[in-house]
Amino acid sequence: MQILYLISILGLVVFSILAILIKDLLKAALSLMGASVFLAIIFFFMKAYYAGVFEISVVAGLITVLFVSTIGLIRSDDFKESKMPTIIFPLFFIWFIIIDILILSALVSKFPLPGFKVPEPNTFGEVFWHNRTFDLVGQIGIIFAGVFSVLALFRKRDKNG
Amino acid sequence: MVSLFILIPFVLAAFLPLIEKISKRFLPDLLTNLGILFLLIYTMTYGQQIVALERGIRQLQWFNEQLNITFALDGFSLFMLFAIYLVSFGVTLFSIDYMEHYGNKGIFYALFMIMVGGMSGLVLATDLFTIYVFLEVSAISSYGLVAYGLKHDELEASFKYLMLSAVATAFLLLGIMFIFGINGSLKLGDIADRFASGEYRFVIGICTGFFIFGFGLKAALVPFHSWLPDAHPSAPAPISAMLSGLLIKVSGVYALARVFLNVFGLNPAISTVLMYLGLISILVGAILALGQNDIKRMLAYSSISQVGYIILGFGAGTNLAIMGALFHILNHALAKGLLFLNSGSVEHSTGTRDLDKMGGLGKRMPITAATTVVGSLSVAGVPPLNGFWSKLFIIIGLLQAKAYGFAFAAILASIITLWYYIIIQRRAFFGKLKENWKDVKEVPFWMAVSTIFIALICIIIGIGFPVVISNWIEPATKVLEQGINFAMRWLRL
Repeated sequence: MQILYLISILGLVVFSILAILIKDLLKAALSLMGASVFLAIIFFFMKAYYAGVFEISVVAGLITVLFVSTIGLIRSDDFKESKMPTIIFPLFFIWFIIIDILILSALVSKFPLPGFKVPEPNTFGEVFWHNRTFDLVGQIGIIFAGVFSVLALFRKRDKNG
Repeated sequence: MVSLFILIPFVLAAFLPLIEKISKRFLPDLLTNLGILFLLIYTMTYGQQIVALERGIRQLQWFNEQLNITFALDGFSLFMLFAIYLVSFGVTLFSIDYMEHYGNKGIFYALFMIMVGGMSGLVLATDLFTIYVFLEVSAISSYGLVAYGLKHDELEASFKYLMLSAVATAFLLLGIMFIFGINGSLKLGDIADRFASGEYRFVIGICTGFFIFGFGLKAALVPFHSWLPDAHPSAPAPISAMLSGLLIKVSGVYALARVFLNVFGLNPAISTVLMYLGLISILVGAILALGQNDIKRMLAYSSISQVGYIILGFGAGTNLAIMGALFHILNHALAKGLLFLNSGSVEHSTGTRDLDKMGGLGKRMPITAATTVVGSLSVAGVPPLNGFWSKLFIIIGLLQAKAYGFAFAAILASIITLWYYIIIQRRAFFGKLKENWKDVKEVPFWMAVSTIFIALICIIIGIGFPVVISNWIEPATKVLEQGINFAMRWLRL
């Protein structure tokens, strides 16, 4: 179990970095999907089932479909992949792991255990309706902001071709 | 209803793009301006009553069922709402004419209202995660607004702003995560209560670092300021005015003050860090502003410097320093908003932001020149304008706190500020009118009305500052002075 957990964390880090470093948008989107799948597995290990389900369905599923279809529409054929990831990635990854281990080993022992009793998990509806209702208003705002930003960014391109 | 402060902007935002299909200009202009004006009047009447009666904490109900939507309308949040709607009203008036050539006003106003709604939600929130969510609402809409012109510089600035904001967000979430791990609740009152014992000093120390980085980046404090001089000048002028005048103060300064004064409590260590960050921002911002040729870039660096004054005041923590910091939030929002709008007027009429290419424009644009003088003198702190009083309060507050070196540096930076604003006046508006500007005309009606409106407010607040202090600043100061006791008594439900 512990090994699976570590592999998931490693997979999350590897795919996240690849998503940033790869220049080909399609491969970057697929790397993001890979990172998202590993994150969902970590959520399941941590018993955050709702978060895991949403991560897989929305981020790994829906958003990837949107990305891939959009990239399919705008992608040009004369694309050349940069060789940077193959050079930078191993160095970056090793550096990241060393820094991560150093910081975590310095911090973990100093943090007290959670000072509260972990509550029994409620249903998804109960959590959203009773505990985080105000956030829902904000989430609606975020969706509006995202949609209108996209509409604003694409408006002139439509006109000018 | 306190919820109207959030609902009105969001509902208008949802309908504005649809209304644009019926009327391309008139209805979007009218509805946005009326919506913001209503919110301003509502804040000045209903909001004042609620705060005076100390009934500002409200939990919403839905068919007799308690919802977990709790608003805290206290003196501090009411004052912030007043500043948000006052500046926003000036900006929406200006946008009537200025945004004509950008097209799609409905979507512009929709994003604008989401930004206003996000800021309103942020100042009314009583929960750390809700603060984060509304911070994202206003941030995401501002990315779209910065890139609204769709030119290369605007898209690049928006992307840079997005990337650095994502870093800020990551640090804020880390801080929130640690607090949740210890506390199990993110309500501000609960956090203040749990951390008051002093048992979790190490965790508070770590979270303080994360929050200073996160909110400091949002407030564009030095050394987290690199995104601002790109993002603010690139945006359309009304958005530059909103970003520099309001957004950095609400998503950075307000959140920082709320967390450090009302939740963690201002201890000597946090106070020292804030004061040094404020001082460095004042000096670096002022010195970098001096060397700029782009008028909007100069104003952006000036914003970094002026936010430094506000943080310095909060860090000093004395009654007058906090009062001065709060007053400077309002004064700088108005004056810097006015200056950014005027820079937009100049760009609108001449097509350039380069000070070297300007000269003698005051002869052709007397309203813009006169209102720029008011804004410049206000930010520089020249009496009897509003900016003078807030800076004076901060400096006296620093002297009360025996921070003589900080007070001296604040005065010195004020002189530098006056210097670069005189440079703007001399290079843009005074001197001989250049040949190529002979046909330049004054800005259209609503742009002129907007800048005159804000300039008049600056003068009126400067002359009648005791009224503003007693009605808006003192209730807000009381909230912050009570520190964590306020959060435990008032914010906890």
